[in-house]
Amino acid sequence: MALIEFIDVGMTYQRRGGGETVALERTSLSIAPGEFICIVGPSGCGKTTLLHCLDGLQTPTSGRILIDGREITAPGRDRAMVFQSASLMPWRTVLRNITYGLDLQGVALREALPRAQKMIELVGLVGFEDRHPGELSGGMQQRVNLARALVIDPEVILLDEPFAALDAQTRELMQTELLRVWDETKKTAVFITHQISEAVYLADRVVVMSARPGNVKAIVPVPIARPRPASARRDPQMFAIESEIAALIEGSHTETVVSV
Amino acid sequence: MTQLTQTSGGLVTDDIPVPRRPPAARKGLLSQRSITQVISIIGGLALWELLARFAVHNTAFLAPPSLVAIRFYQMLRDGSLLFNGWVSFQELIGGFVIGVAAGIIIGAAMVQWKQVDDALEVWIAALYAAPIVALAPILIIWFGFGPWSKIAVVFIMVVFPMVICTQAGLESVDRRLLLVARSFCGSRWKTFLTVALPSAAPFIVSGMRQSVGRGLVGVVIGELFGAKAGLGNIITTASSVFDMPTLFVAVVTLALAGIILTGILRSFELRLAAWRDVA
Repeated sequence: MALIEFIDVGMTYQRRGGGETVALERTSLSIAPGEFICIVGPSGCGKTTLLHCLDGLQTPTSGRILIDGREITAPGRDRAMVFQSASLMPWRTVLRNITYGLDLQGVALREALPRAQKMIELVGLVGFEDRHPGELSGGMQQRVNLARALVIDPEVILLDEPFAALDAQTRELMQTELLRVWDETKKTAVFITHQISEAVYLADRVVVMSARPGNVKAIVPVPIARPRPASARRDPQMFAIESEIAALIEGSHTETVVSV
Repeated sequence: MTQLTQTSGGLVTDDIPVPRRPPAARKGLLSQRSITQVISIIGGLALWELLARFAVHNTAFLAPPSLVAIRFYQMLRDGSLLFNGWVSFQELIGGFVIGVAAGIIIGAAMVQWKQVDDALEVWIAALYAAPIVALAPILIIWFGFGPWSKIAVVFIMVVFPMVICTQAGLESVDRRLLLVARSFCGSRWKTFLTVALPSAAPFIVSGMRQSVGRGLVGVVIGELFGAKAGLGNIITTASSVFDMPTLFVAVVTLALAGIILTGILRSFELRLAAWRDVA
């Protein structure tokens, strides 16, 4: 039984001065509970739009998105977003940034603080509770960003290219850390990226999207055993899947060039 | 499972955190800056003293600083300075607090509701730019010779810059933070309290710092047009009998109040903006 279902989801923007941009067209996808899904595709393929619709920040212009059989119309407590830029409140400490979602949802501080403290341990920020985001490195800010989403204990965690701004080494480390945290929490995860190797290392299934209009081009399973330590990156099977996806994306590029 | 514990190695330092900034170097009494300032003040006072003693000769036109200092001491001793200063201070604080509160509320309402903005924008712009102290005599007629007329003058001096600063602060909010609040199901009110207002806080305090000087001018203007006590009243009385030293005592006291109040708000502003520096 699928936890999340995209049914013919479409998104059309009205351009200023007339005309329309089709960001998503009749996109269908179903995601099982506990699954780690990565969505890759060239820029402008509507992957962020897809994620925002799933979070309820945007409403599709056609089609429906279901979670547990209920239609998504607004943000809900069963979903939490890890944003692309860490988007932390610069005036709040690390600890209070993590409690932010709980604060908004009216959870008493007495209950929120111990829960946040647990997340601090989970994401490896012990000793940094009272720092402000400006004092943290990019990688540590993203740990806070992740903890802020996890602490509300959602069913689904949505990640919008959270490691895009990090340097290559930090990025790989954060990926391994994310998998460790995910192994411990068993959330359903939907992760957006434009980096193929990141998608393959993290995902159970990689959704490859084509651009303009955005659409699901292919779904590639990654049957590599978990947990996946950092060394799993050098698995030859992983390279094979990566090149398969790269070929799919290049195909979509030439298609768009030809059709233009 | 063994592999899992292998990968979960507690704190993994992905990269080195930005170190805490060392506290700003304290301004020593003998720093280059303070030496220059002291020389400037002493030089200015000396020039004033020389002009008054050897060029003007008439204390009804210009009182030398030595005479002003003596009068300052006398007025402190007989309590007249503290009494009148306290009257003015209460009027200032009353008008300032009400003006700041109203300015924040009006500014916030203009950002939250488009119609309020459309309705008030022209009025705010006009009244902020206009020489609004010209209204002071009218306010004295409306509110009488007591403290309320001065509070009203301070209020109109303070409220318009506060509206403008609040507006600017609230409009500078990082859209991405608003998206975070929405994603976590934040209500409009909680989003305002947790995102918009803290973002605007440095702007609001900066607005307060700029308005405090305008408020001081407002108090004096209000008292000039009619008062029973206050520093403005001292100025009126002293000037009518050409008592320059007393007049200067009132002016110097106002200047000192301006320096102190601005300094307090400035340090508050720097503390609020501290997270901006490191961010």
